[in-house]
Amino acid sequence: MLNIMLVCSAGMSTSLLVNKMNKVVKEKELDVNIVAVAEADVKSNMDKVDVMLLGPQVRYLLPNMKGLMEPKGVPVEVVDTVDYGTMNGEKVLEYALSLAKEL
Amino acid sequence: MSRIKEVLDTLERLREENPEGISAIDVAQILDIDRSNISRYLNILYRDGKVEKLEGRPVLYRTIDIEKDTFKERNTPISKNKNSLDKMVGANQSLAISIDKAKAAIMYPPKGLHTLILGETGVGKSMFAELMYQFSIETNILGKDAPFIRFNCADYASNQNLLTAQIFGVKKGAYTGATKDREGLLKKADGGFIFLDEIHRLSPQGQEMLFTYIDNGFFRPLGETENLSYVDVRIIAATTEDPKSNLLKTFTRRIPMVITLPPIRDRGLSERYDFIETFIKEESHRLGKSIYINKNAIISYLLYDCPNNIGQLKSDIQLACAKAFLNYKSQNNNYILITQCDLPNHVKKGIMNINQYRNEVEQLLNFNYDILKFNQSEKPPLLMEIDKYTTEDFYNSIEEKLKSLKNMGISEQDINEIINIDIETHFKEYIGSISRHFHKEEISNIVDNKILEVVEEILLLGEKKLNKHFSEKVYFALSFHLERSINRIKNGEKIYNPKLNFIRINYEEEFLFAMKITRIIDERFGIETPVDEIGYLAMFFATDSYKFDKVEVPKVGILVIMHGKTTASSMVEVANSLIGTDHAIALDMPLNMKPETMYSIAKRKVEEINKGEGVIILVDMGSLTTFGDMIWEETGIEVRTIEMVSTSMVLEVLRKSIVGYSIDEIMEAFKNKHVYKYRSNVLEEGNNIKDIIVTACFTGDGASKKIANIIGKEISNKNIDIFTINIIDENNLENRLYKLKDKYNILAIISTISLDISWAPVFLAVDIFTNEGIDKLNNVFEENEMCLKISQSLTEHLPNIKDKKIVKEIRYILYEVEYKLGLKVSIDVRMGIMLHICFLIDNLIKGVIPRKFNDLEEYKKTYKKEMKILREIFSPIENKYEIVIGENEIGYILKTFLSNQISVY
Repeated sequence: MLNIMLVCSAGMSTSLLVNKMNKVVKEKELDVNIVAVAEADVKSNMDKVDVMLLGPQVRYLLPNMKGLMEPKGVPVEVVDTVDYGTMNGEKVLEYALSLAKEL
Repeated sequence: MSRIKEVLDTLERLREENPEGISAIDVAQILDIDRSNISRYLNILYRDGKVEKLEGRPVLYRTIDIEKDTFKERNTPISKNKNSLDKMVGANQSLAISIDKAKAAIMYPPKGLHTLILGETGVGKSMFAELMYQFSIETNILGKDAPFIRFNCADYASNQNLLTAQIFGVKKGAYTGATKDREGLLKKADGGFIFLDEIHRLSPQGQEMLFTYIDNGFFRPLGETENLSYVDVRIIAATTEDPKSNLLKTFTRRIPMVITLPPIRDRGLSERYDFIETFIKEESHRLGKSIYINKNAIISYLLYDCPNNIGQLKSDIQLACAKAFLNYKSQNNNYILITQCDLPNHVKKGIMNINQYRNEVEQLLNFNYDILKFNQSEKPPLLMEIDKYTTEDFYNSIEEKLKSLKNMGISEQDINEIINIDIETHFKEYIGSISRHFHKEEISNIVDNKILEVVEEILLLGEKKLNKHFSEKVYFALSFHLERSINRIKNGEKIYNPKLNFIRINYEEEFLFAMKITRIIDERFGIETPVDEIGYLAMFFATDSYKFDKVEVPKVGILVIMHGKTTASSMVEVANSLIGTDHAIALDMPLNMKPETMYSIAKRKVEEINKGEGVIILVDMGSLTTFGDMIWEETGIEVRTIEMVSTSMVLEVLRKSIVGYSIDEIMEAFKNKHVYKYRSNVLEEGNNIKDIIVTACFTGDGASKKIANIIGKEISNKNIDIFTINIIDENNLENRLYKLKDKYNILAIISTISLDISWAPVFLAVDIFTNEGIDKLNNVFEENEMCLKISQSLTEHLPNIKDKKIVKEIRYILYEVEYKLGLKVSIDVRMGIMLHICFLIDNLIKGVIPRKFNDLEEYKKTYKKEMKILREIFSPIENKYEIVIGENEIGYILKTFLSNQISVY
């Protein structure tokens, strides 16, 4: 089971993206679990994460999160703006999976 | 000249016999020259330091005693060996840095640096400029004959052609009214300094001409086509503008040296004391008499609120000196003494602050006697050219008037009163604007300046005639009232005052006074004030004694209801306290309160405050706007609603209600007033709108066309149109851009001068010609394409937002946020925030309750200004979608911007 965490500033926009990603997960029958978390709640949800993706608007968290997560072997990246903006679940999921593979 | 020499010789010759000095009459008899001429010569000699005046009647003159003279020099060693700049008050303290900078600007090789002086009204910018000039002569950087040209851009601000012509000169026929060639001041200042005060009043065209000179050393007079004028002039510009203002950024970028002069409140009491001392000494020097001043009066001068700074302090001191001089003359006193009574009202209040500053004051005035003497023989450290317009002539005129009034047999008390009025009118400019300085700033946004001036004049007169002190409240209310009624009269609308007879009988004095001042109003505004209006004016003058409640018909009730925990109550508190009443009532509607609950509270309140005249409800937006009609239907009480309330609206309604306007009369002013402002900010419904770039220059034909050509090549493969427009009048410009914005999607504006446009990127034409500028422009295109893609797929995910242009709409808003917060975020962050806001709006329409922001109160305190800016920017969106974004979400948005900022403008 791969745990993907999506972070945005107040959880407004990511939930839809998570839905779309989940749709793809179902179609392809993947063993992936995706959660959307607001920036303020990251700390309390950090244990069960394998890949962390940041919304573009919380890009400023990147250095901090990398420092926190990469030692644990968790890759952290910012989602591509257009994929994010078009709510392209498939592409974002692919990106997350590719990050997980690199490990 | 030889006559003057003759007078001097005579004085010298007779010195031995008349050690006490000789009067002008004696000299006139000896030389057989007209006495008034002799007096003039003596004054010149006195001014040149060749003779001294001795106290007494008649004034006696004698040549200056060499020994005493040396003593004097010893006594004031400061003035020796020091240059003009270092003699300034605070030269070693608050002005130290400014003076260093000034010297650097003057000495910077090869020709010095142009300088911009910033500071509030009255901090001494002109004086500083003049001292810089003197310094450069003292240090032989400029020759003795170097010119110093002073020019105030505000003097010609209403005629920009004339203004530019004054500075740069003009060729015959350059514009209507330019009937002959004329040399400009810049030319006259060749080899010296030009001091351009209130530089912000210079038109964009004038600015460009000035910058051309700064950059290249030449300029072209208006209408001159062939020859360039080369001059060598050091420019000192000055302005009261906020250094952060956009306009000023243009100047600070082009003018290398910027010197900021501190306001008097930041300069400490000891410097303030030095000023007081200097100014009294100056007056004493002018009068040729010592001036005594009561200790309490000095304390008042040290501690009163002095918003117009040193200039105000000086005129407030001059006023007191003039009054003291009058007493001395009319009552044949032996000395000129300034007491508390001679101080202007607002200065007198200074002593009330003594508890707060007792220790400091005691340290400063470290002596036991109650009266201080400023000896005429002590020269003030600096006597400025600038002061010439308030010279001894003013004292002479007091003296002459006193004499002639006495000859006419007028009683002493009346004479004093008459001359006191003269003195105060002389200083009126200061007193009027000063005592009401605080609110004037605020009101001038709402009420025409011309009206404010008249009201000041009227109240000043009123204070004399009716012998009462009018509070700022009256000033405020009367300004407000007058503006409205002048408009009514001009439009031929009727004014009816139901209390007219009551006022006429019970407030006769005020009514008579109102009749008198009506003449001023009629003359100034070209109207004929009807008697009913005179009645209203009289009510203002009687405000403090007139108890409306007891006799007045019931007033229209006022209820302010707004979203937010304290928004309505704080607005009402301001309005009530300014008008001096508790008539307006506030209802706060917390965000989690249901409209139904609020409705029943509002209904009860309306029933409670209705006194038969109806109730006006002022609301911000949303469901609240419907309350009025519903209550009216249910209760039968006449209820009117005003939407998008602001403090100034509450004030206007409240003020009118208090003086007894009917509900219809009050509502009339709001017929069309409040709608426009918001509409233009929101895109119209519509499908495909075209992307455009706007290029702007003065003519709309020259530079902007050229830019269009260049850009055109860059974007030939993109589906973008270019619009060229002219910038004749900047206000109008914004409106024209709004209109374009309604029809098209403005990607960027490229202009020859910087524009104060917040909602779209503005590039300077100059920058576009560099690679960096093109890169920036390309970023804009890139972002736009991103927007387009996102917009196409996004709108299907926003089920509750009908307007498909939401993405572009938000994009404007994000530019505005960046501009107004003075920061930038990267494109992807901006996109992210945009998405966030789109979903937020969608959710809010759906009725989802926003999340809480941790420690919101703390955050709001830290970022008070920023929160306010954001709330304002988002208010058109709130109105359009009938939602309340709320402080929690605003907090999130602000935080995202602040955390992601990449650079500061």
